[in-house]
Amino acid sequence: MSDSDAAARPYPDIWSRESATPVVERYHSAVRALVAEKFAAGGKSWQEAVEDRSLEPTAQELEKIEADLLAEGYKFDVSATISLKEEPDKYKPLAGIANTGEHETDEEGRPIVGTGDNVFKAPADVTGVARYISDVEKVMEMLTGGVPEKTVAIIDDSGGTLTAPILGDFTAVVCMGGTVRSHLGILTREYNVPCLMNATLDGLADGDEVVVEYSKPAADAYADAEAAAEHRARIIKVS
Amino acid sequence: MPIKRSYVDVLEANAFIQKWADSFFFQCTTRTVQESKLFPVNPYIALSYYNAWYRYPEVLRKVDAAMPAEEIGERARQVGTYVNTISMGVGPQFYLGGRQWMLDMGILKPTDCVEDVLDVLDFARRLNLSYHRAEAHIMPSDGNHKDQIHTARQTGFFEDNAIGVTPGDKLHHAFTRFMAAVSAYGFLSHCECRLSFCNNGPYRTKDGNQMLVRDMLDLSECDFPWMDGVSSEIEFNNLTVPVIMKDTDFHMVDDWGSFEASPSYDNEKLVAIGLYTSDWLSDGYVPVHMDSASELADYLDDQREKMEAATAEMWKMMAGWSREQMIDAGLLVYYAILKDVAHFAGVYEQDDWFQVDERTQRFKPLMNDEYGNSAIAELVGLVSLTSQDRGPHRMERYSRDRTEMWTTIPYSVLADDEWTARVGPMGEGVTTLPAKTAKWTTTRGKLTQEECNAAAKAFHSKAFDLRHYDDDVWAKNNPDDPRAAELAAATGG
Repeated sequence: MSDSDAAARPYPDIWSRESATPVVERYHSAVRALVAEKFAAGGKSWQEAVEDRSLEPTAQELEKIEADLLAEGYKFDVSATISLKEEPDKYKPLAGIANTGEHETDEEGRPIVGTGDNVFKAPADVTGVARYISDVEKVMEMLTGGVPEKTVAIIDDSGGTLTAPILGDFTAVVCMGGTVRSHLGILTREYNVPCLMNATLDGLADGDEVVVEYSKPAADAYADAEAAAEHRARIIKVS
Repeated sequence: MPIKRSYVDVLEANAFIQKWADSFFFQCTTRTVQESKLFPVNPYIALSYYNAWYRYPEVLRKVDAAMPAEEIGERARQVGTYVNTISMGVGPQFYLGGRQWMLDMGILKPTDCVEDVLDVLDFARRLNLSYHRAEAHIMPSDGNHKDQIHTARQTGFFEDNAIGVTPGDKLHHAFTRFMAAVSAYGFLSHCECRLSFCNNGPYRTKDGNQMLVRDMLDLSECDFPWMDGVSSEIEFNNLTVPVIMKDTDFHMVDDWGSFEASPSYDNEKLVAIGLYTSDWLSDGYVPVHMDSASELADYLDDQREKMEAATAEMWKMMAGWSREQMIDAGLLVYYAILKDVAHFAGVYEQDDWFQVDERTQRFKPLMNDEYGNSAIAELVGLVSLTSQDRGPHRMERYSRDRTEMWTTIPYSVLADDEWTARVGPMGEGVTTLPAKTAKWTTTRGKLTQEECNAAAKAFHSKAFDLRHYDDDVWAKNNPDDPRAAELAAATGG
């Protein structure tokens, strides 16, 4: 949707541009058009309209902007699981771990099911059981029943809150997002729990036994992509 | 009629707008995107900017009338509270973010609410100037990312009283476990935000090591209503830990109070630590269980266990919140980043800081996860909004793109009548969260809001009374002056 139509603006902008993302472009253009329409219809000076707040959109007008987009069949990307839980029709379903069926193998012929950036250099690699933790229910289960031994937590959230009460009980962590400077990276370092951030996974299933190369040097947060790729730690499926 | 402000007023405000834009761009683009599967983080951040836009002018004028911003900054640099490098640096950013939303949606022009913008920025300018006066910088990025807020009398006190640790001993073990627990607790109590932590320094020590001063804030029952009850076992609301480390160069302490070290921060390099509490009612930093290493270790173990229990209970409570409750809690954590200025001034009112303004509330229907993520990314990372475009010849400081994060004030307001003054009084506040019921945890014990304000108004800090001599340049040449001895005596609670 283009924002180049000057009539859809309440005041001129000789250096206008489209927003970089489609939803922001859609929403902000719609509000600008709404304000322009109300200003034109109000018969007041700009200063008068600002001071009596007649330019400000109402909650109902803003609700309609989202409703119009949803009516076209649009589904939003989700971040917090509560959003999907409360309004499942509004969001795309969460993507799971990819499984293309094509894997490189390590020196022993075992499938490499992922790589990631090491938060800190651990004394040794870690062998454990991959357990996927992506929602409140799974954390609650482990909070009340205990974290199973040898759990390598597979987390798709670089934040520090989802797993806050059980983080110190993990044997190790693999996070499918963020960077070594993310909150989860900071916390795992404090807890001395080995952790890979920004992991890409392919073919890893819940319950797989894996060995993870946590003894590799810590990733450099400022390294360029090519240099960082060379130093990524591997996740190897052993059974 | 033109605005009744001077040319220099607008020049200075615009210079600060650009200064803050440069700082925020660097900070936002050298970090990862903030996210959480538990909290809808970016939707609540986006909404917090609206709340700052609608409410800061009125609440900060109220504070400034009770205690000028420069006095608050002076008091705050002598204790460890929320009035610190990150909150004072970021608070104006949130306000300018709210303004930028308004400009981008065409609801306002850059010439609107100009008195508000000038006053909020002037408050923040004076606050930052006095807080950072020991180093004579305004923010750490001005000093190549170091943040030496303390004078030698304070850093000398921290160093002289630090308790030695050795990897593997009882205190080292207790300290490292405590720091992990308080980190998880702080991220959770602040709804995924890192405002519970702020570091300053580094400072040289006499034996050639470096000291970093680490503040951990709002740990007990405090302004956040969701901490009532669940945090009641945490004894102190604010803790400050000076850490002295060997073979470590803290080469960056940034505008958000984060640090980076070469080589990486490693607890094996710890040499000595201390533990203090303080707040807007304390005369400096009060030592906490520092009579011996063993006593301090036992205390840290005790508080760690209580924080771990509080983390589990708070997590269960938050996991049961609705999305709107999570949004309200997060946006209020962000919006209330400047709340402690009201505590210092003795004019703190819970409803000023922990309510969502009715005008902010209107924007909630837009705040699905994707819009929140995209809007924040465009505003402070990509800097790609139409309102941010400054034309084909502009080059941003870091990206070299033609956009700038925050829009300056047009100088036309000094010459014609095409401008408006204010956003208007605060609207009615709402919240989906339970009301605060517990008392506030302070260095004077548990107090009601009224008791907090009365105590703050009656309080006189000895170090503040001698503030004009709390200056390394004066101290260098006046070692025998009785005021130097008085200041030394006033250090340490």
